[in-house]
Amino acid sequence: MPELPTKKVGLIACSGEEIPEGTVTRLAVRKVLESLRPLHTVTICLPLFLAGGEGDRAFARFHPTIAIDGCEKRCAARGTEMFSGKPAVSIVVSDSVSAESAGLGTARRLSEKGMHVVGDVADQIARHVDHLLDLKWDRRSGGPVDGSTPQEESKPRQAACSCGSGIPSQVLRVAGREVTLIALPLIFAQFREAGKLPSDSTKAQLIEAVRIYNLIPDDEESAYARAVTEEYAAFCRGGN
Amino acid sequence: MREKVLIIPCSGIGKSLGSVAREASYMVTEELCRDRTRLMPLALLVLGDKETRTELSSAEVITIDGCVKACAAKVVEGTGGTVAHGLQVLDVCRRHPKLKPSGISELNESGHELAHALAEEVKELVEDMTGGLSNA
Repeated sequence: MPELPTKKVGLIACSGEEIPEGTVTRLAVRKVLESLRPLHTVTICLPLFLAGGEGDRAFARFHPTIAIDGCEKRCAARGTEMFSGKPAVSIVVSDSVSAESAGLGTARRLSEKGMHVVGDVADQIARHVDHLLDLKWDRRSGGPVDGSTPQEESKPRQAACSCGSGIPSQVLRVAGREVTLIALPLIFAQFREAGKLPSDSTKAQLIEAVRIYNLIPDDEESAYARAVTEEYAAFCRGGN
Repeated sequence: MREKVLIIPCSGIGKSLGSVAREASYMVTEELCRDRTRLMPLALLVLGDKETRTELSSAEVITIDGCVKACAAKVVEGTGGTVAHGLQVLDVCRRHPKLKPSGISELNESGHELAHALAEEVKELVEDMTGGLSNA
């Protein structure tokens, strides 16, 4: 059965190549992805919001995101909000290390002190991840406490970016205008494989699933439900 | 005084190829052509920073992309710049099939060699664009 992507926290680093703080953001995000919270985090390159497709731009609407910026320009936080969705958390490295920035090394090679800051920022990100996913972390075992972790992956994964795996979306006509619904193709495939035929009870379940990933205005719920159900019926007839 | 050629890497964070693009950009702007080039972070262009766009509009630009998404080239062209040369690490990989880059936070030896090969290609382009030899 096709599975909807697991809810994870999206990490977006500014990666500012001109300043050491930008390198701190990139390395801190990599540390969280590779070793601190590999099962619960994903990333995407910030410029992909402009250069990619709708699926890429849906990233922050699908995942709660943490933006990590090197300086007060806050390119990652502002860019994410502008093109995808408002980040749940915004971290600015220069806020906490401005007095010490001379000791961080260069943008190309961080000093030992710079690498310490990477560790501190990575720990800060990991704490926010736990909070956003409501994870309770067992400091002794170094793993999540039983029952507090969302769907674990069965195999170790190589931490990578989400480009090329954008969240599938579909455009529907609702109340006279076109709206893009994130994850709709996956939801349809999941429902059909579960043997759920288009019906009133399926309609309620469909709109509930769609609402997880999309904002549905209260006063337009019935219009959304009608459009989604009609599209689902067409999907089932078409055998897509 | 002639304006510096802008070198804009893709900001890739998820693949080794993005790290190769970044490292090659540093080699060009800090070592091979430091008096003729300047590195511009792509993140500033994503926001459409006014000062950055102004600089971009009047400069010659070389973009270095890690993957076929070509974020650097697309963002530059989408924000008022003109890409004089758009390079892709994947193309350089094909020209150096024995080099297998790996690692993202820290590139392996092969990755550094690939970055160096790419940087040398960029250096030649910069010399063509600016006329004459760059500083070593």
